[in-house]
Amino acid sequence: MSATLAYVVVLVLLGVGALGVLLAREALRLTLSLGVFLLGVAASFLYFGLGFLAVAQVFVYVGGVLVLVLFALMIVRRAEGDRVLLGIRFDWGSAATALSVAILIIVMLLPEFDAFVPPAGTSDPAALAQRLLGGYLVPFEIAGGLLLVAVLAVLAIVGKEASE
Amino acid sequence: MSILVVCAAVFGIGLFVVLSRRDVIAVLIGLELMLGSGNVLMVALASVKGHDPATTQSLGLMVVVLAAAEAAIGLALLIASVRRTGRSRVEEFEEVTG
Repeated sequence: MSATLAYVVVLVLLGVGALGVLLAREALRLTLSLGVFLLGVAASFLYFGLGFLAVAQVFVYVGGVLVLVLFALMIVRRAEGDRVLLGIRFDWGSAATALSVAILIIVMLLPEFDAFVPPAGTSDPAALAQRLLGGYLVPFEIAGGLLLVAVLAVLAIVGKEASE
Repeated sequence: MSILVVCAAVFGIGLFVVLSRRDVIAVLIGLELMLGSGNVLMVALASVKGHDPATTQSLGLMVVVLAAAEAAIGLALLIASVRRTGRSRVEEFEEVTG
């Protein structure tokens, strides 16, 4: 597959997933659109030569977070009825804010980008391990600590509700 | 079309979803769009600038970890809201007690 075609596939996956999230009226379709977007993110990592990050994205997000969202959806569905319909309301203030932020990002970063961004060199997992367990050891440990705090927070939130 | 335009548009869509939707699950998914597009933009910018791929990959991994923690806490709040009120709307979080 040529680099240009791969680039277009990445952009289409990202765009279609995001538009699906924007337009979905049913929670299940919203979640599936998020899945398409997350696969697009993984494909973009693969395109830029970051194979390990792409695999981690698929494992953590598509295999983990997406399944977690589907489980949460099952609980909501049991509480709210068979089909979870989402209310869509068009809010001019929100639209103007979102559009302004998107334009700001484009204007700020436009001098850095061309229409086509070629893939860079590939990264092997050994170099990544050297970074994570060498120069980036402290941020790596902080990220691990953050995950631990998140797990404790989840247990505190759900456990407190269960005991009440 | 440049990846910059697509990522900025996706970030804008995520922000719009967060601001305009009233369902907690939709707000969470909007946040995921914002984090994902930001991560792709960072990786693309690093690629354009010719930075070391291993360093880029390390920073990208940190963002993935951050987003996973955010999703876990958000979904726990969603389940707590549904258990307490039977609904999953952001209005349920107007009053937060310690």
